[in-house]
Amino acid sequence: MKANVHSVWYMPLVSGILIFLLWYGIGHYMVIDQMATDNLSRTEADNVRKIMLPYPHEIWEALLEESDALLSATRSTFTAATIGFLFSVSVGYLIAMFLASSILVKQAMYPWVLVLQMTPVVILAPIFVIWLGQGLPSITAVTFMIGFFPVVANTTMGLVSTDKQLIDLFRICNASKSQEILLLRVPYSMPYFLTGLKIAGTLAPIGAIAGDIFVGSSSSGAAGLGFMTIVFNSQLKIPALFATALVACVLGFVFVGCVNLLHWWALHNWHDSMVKKED
Amino acid sequence: MLPRPFVRFDALQKRYGKGPLVLDSLDLSVREGEFVSLIGPSGCGKSTLLKLLAGLSPVSAGDLVIDGMKPVDAREEMFYVFQEANLLPWSRVLENVELPLRIRGDARDRRRERAREMVELVGLKEAERQFPWQLSGGMRMRVSIARALSVRPKILLLDEPFGALDEMTRDGLNEDLLEIRERDPFTAFFVTHSVAEAVFLSTRIVVLSANPGRIADVIEVPFAFPRKAELRESPEYLEVLAVATRALRDVISES
Repeated sequence: MKANVHSVWYMPLVSGILIFLLWYGIGHYMVIDQMATDNLSRTEADNVRKIMLPYPHEIWEALLEESDALLSATRSTFTAATIGFLFSVSVGYLIAMFLASSILVKQAMYPWVLVLQMTPVVILAPIFVIWLGQGLPSITAVTFMIGFFPVVANTTMGLVSTDKQLIDLFRICNASKSQEILLLRVPYSMPYFLTGLKIAGTLAPIGAIAGDIFVGSSSSGAAGLGFMTIVFNSQLKIPALFATALVACVLGFVFVGCVNLLHWWALHNWHDSMVKKED
Repeated sequence: MLPRPFVRFDALQKRYGKGPLVLDSLDLSVREGEFVSLIGPSGCGKSTLLKLLAGLSPVSAGDLVIDGMKPVDAREEMFYVFQEANLLPWSRVLENVELPLRIRGDARDRRRERAREMVELVGLKEAERQFPWQLSGGMRMRVSIARALSVRPKILLLDEPFGALDEMTRDGLNEDLLEIRERDPFTAFFVTHSVAEAVFLSTRIVVLSANPGRIADVIEVPFAFPRKAELRESPEYLEVLAVATRALRDVISES
């Protein structure tokens, strides 16, 4: 088993090459098909194919060509995603603390948190624009709305499920409420919180891009990746559209990678999921 | 004149909510420095008794006085050793041991020093930087005991602390516990399922009957301290062991 785990690193590479071959194959078939059915010349058929399915190397060329615009858009989206993420996490944590403070509060308030979560953000977008105006504040609000719930749900779960025996220990120590929260409940709920954090981290770039599409603004170079999508689409720059997707994907990986690093750092020397037990 | 009892149970009753009586008409006086073991069939309320002493659960009727105080007010003088080691998994050994002192508000240097002393006392100096998951069950229990002793408790409540350990580890910890008690005397209430353990450790063994828990028998264990491992092989020890075993069998066959 162990040998297998170590020898699979090249498997994604192999499957990647297969996908590329398939990609070029389908493109080639499309050109032949267009030439036969619509009586187009090879160049004309290839132009149609370029709009339908640009080849990977064409996407790469588009990426280099539009690199300035994409770089500034990435920066803008990254900023919105980061701010929105930080809001999701901090406000989410405070909401969780509030919900976990008593069963009564949780019973009274949790349904309303659910209502907030269940309302599609896309519908709220115009309202955000009215309140906050077009641009970064609204995009941040959309990102927050998409990302805060996993933090709330997971952290609340962790805070209220703290080990009863450990709570007894703190009672015997005559611990104050705030000591119980800071020294026991907060660290105990850390793995739960970090799970919420991971989900929020995955959602933040998506939220920022979706927010950019609905409530973004192009003024003073503030256009994000979502806005670029609209621009490239209207200009029929399809390879650039694919390139935008690629950049967004990389941004997502970077974001999630950072959050995973934090997750590892916080848990690696004590939590069951991280430590190797010698049984 | 007899000294004032240190801990006194007076016609004590306990029930949870509107449920049946768990403990009934308990009368017991304990002098300072005694080591009282509580044995009895499961459901006799031994652990409940400790919870009452610790003030984790209120007395339903009657009286429980500890050093002239109600249990909740006497917490400063007590500590509790749980069935499981009950350590904070995210804290190292030393931090676990100093936790009660930290909660109490002791200065960092002072509590570190005391924690080091306790960790050394239980023989875990080498492991002080380790996390609980890196320790064996016996070592974890030692940490738990070191933590309890860090506050210099006048009363130590132990709820089957060695129940999950193998016999050799358990015997070793029993001897260590008595040795520590020679240096830092405390009054002990010790819940156990093991008659042998109770005889080895105690000055008195309280045998409880079940449903509801009542005191069926109190057995004096006359051996002087310090007690060494060899005590377990002496005829006197085996005699008391037989008496206690019989007393336990009697309450079990009654119920």
